[in-house]
Amino acid sequence: MPSSSPRRSRKPGELVLAAALVVPIVAIMGGLVFWPLATSVLDSFYRVDPMRPGTPFVGLANYSGLLADGNVQTAWLNTFAYVAMAVVLETIGGMGAALLLNRVKHGRQWLLAITVLPWCLPPVVNAIVWMWIFNPSYGLLNHALLWLGVIDARKVWFNDQATALFLVSLVHVWRMMPLTAVILLAALQSIPRDLYEAARLDGAGPIKSFRLVTLPLIAGGIAIALSQSTVFAFNLFDEAWILSGSSLDTRSVIIQVYLTAFQNLRFSSGMALSILAMIASLLVSLIYVLRVYRETRYD
Amino acid sequence: MRSLISTLPGRVGTVLAVILLVAWSLGPIYWSLVTSLTPPLHLLGAPSLWPHQITFEHYAKLFGATSLSQGNAVQSVWPQFSAALANSLITSVLATVVTVAIAAFGAYAFVRLEFPGRDLLFVAVVATLAIPAYTVMIPLYRLMISLKLIDTYTGITLIYVSAFLPLALWLMRSVYQAMPISLEEAAWLDGAGRVYTLVHIVLPLAAPGLIASAILTFLNAWGQFMVPLVFSPTLATKPLTVLIPEFVTRNYIDFGLMNAAGILAIIPPVLLVLFLNRYLVSGLMAGATK
Repeated sequence: MPSSSPRRSRKPGELVLAAALVVPIVAIMGGLVFWPLATSVLDSFYRVDPMRPGTPFVGLANYSGLLADGNVQTAWLNTFAYVAMAVVLETIGGMGAALLLNRVKHGRQWLLAITVLPWCLPPVVNAIVWMWIFNPSYGLLNHALLWLGVIDARKVWFNDQATALFLVSLVHVWRMMPLTAVILLAALQSIPRDLYEAARLDGAGPIKSFRLVTLPLIAGGIAIALSQSTVFAFNLFDEAWILSGSSLDTRSVIIQVYLTAFQNLRFSSGMALSILAMIASLLVSLIYVLRVYRETRYD
Repeated sequence: MRSLISTLPGRVGTVLAVILLVAWSLGPIYWSLVTSLTPPLHLLGAPSLWPHQITFEHYAKLFGATSLSQGNAVQSVWPQFSAALANSLITSVLATVVTVAIAAFGAYAFVRLEFPGRDLLFVAVVATLAIPAYTVMIPLYRLMISLKLIDTYTGITLIYVSAFLPLALWLMRSVYQAMPISLEEAAWLDGAGRVYTLVHIVLPLAAPGLIASAILTFLNAWGQFMVPLVFSPTLATKPLTVLIPEFVTRNYIDFGLMNAAGILAIIPPVLLVLFLNRYLVSGLMAGATK
């Protein structure tokens, strides 16, 4: 990376100024992110529990306790289901929206604003709006499906775990798809027009030119979009919490962290689980980045 | 590509896709708006896509001192609602101002000034974007208790700033990097100092980037739920996002009221998208791709 700093002789005043500008960043990030993060890692090896005296070293007991806990296992499975559904739907939908936005000539700014809007709204409000749509007695979904003849009796959607997981994911996808769309649109717009012309002259149809020109050139964007979708789906909390609270059927790992730490007041167990969730989410997004780069780089 | 668009089926397909995208994005919001304007009894009947009779009684419950519910005067939720609205505005604006100010000056140091550990510090700060907020939440909770900052504007603002600063810093650095240094050098030759140049020449030129950072920070803060759920237990700092779901815990779920409150809560984000969409999208793109 080229350094963009000016080639000037360093003045002593410059160092003072730099310190003055950077100290707030160091203080805030150090005190409120790095120090708590280190504490989280350390304390996960101790028993930190406001209801019990002392904080003895317990080694990996918090972690092994998590592995044995059935609720935690369910929360992991739910989270993996969220991640799988969210990543697939956001990528397909976001790609479709990006290709469409890239093609539309008139009013693209307005279509883009409309597309981005769900991302800008508070997730809690989104979840409430959808909760009303999913309402078993008066919700729009039941009415619409009855009217279309898809179902013949009203359904209590959240009684079935698979459906509940899907609907929570759907609300999450509604919010996060715009981000994928914007990332992919930025990537699409960086492709030079004449590459498509060249592909067309070589006799490539739309599908072939998408596969041979578009996909390789937006691979970086896809990798970023995939990691963003994964990290956000791993962190899913608001939608599941509003739609069905602490219900085990839809409980995500983060809801489990929240319940463990702030309702059952088992701090160190919650910290251990949050560390595991962080590692898992980082690893999965790293895998995408590596795979996408490996499969699409030019040799 | 071009031949496909100019053909009729291609064009019809594009139009259909646009309609689908608009319906998917706006449909739920439209439905929420319709619900918030529908009389309670009609909400229990077959839904119609257009309210046959418009009522403002759900909004009256939020704004009035008392309101009528099935013929009885009931205490309205205005005291709670107004406090939460004020809390949302105060914490979001404070977080935005502090974050953008620190990022605007800090990013300049990362681009234009030399100091030991510069690149390492920047990478470390931006890397925290990948660390989910909840990982630090439990130690942060204990820290805030010991500092007596639970349920205070200072505490909430500090947490928001620590969460949203990396993105703002990243954005502002890319803005300064794209800026030619010649203007600053001309000012230095005229005898202007670093700080003067930064405030009077660099910052005005960086205005679009500052606006983009401010919008992203504000939207993030405005939509926060989990942080205030833990750190704002009472109406002293409780924002709308935490208050509105509490309407559920009455003896029945008042969906008219919740949708009305939701519609009011989305007004600031909607206004930002309507009027500052250009900056928002450029910020999102820069933040996501650089």
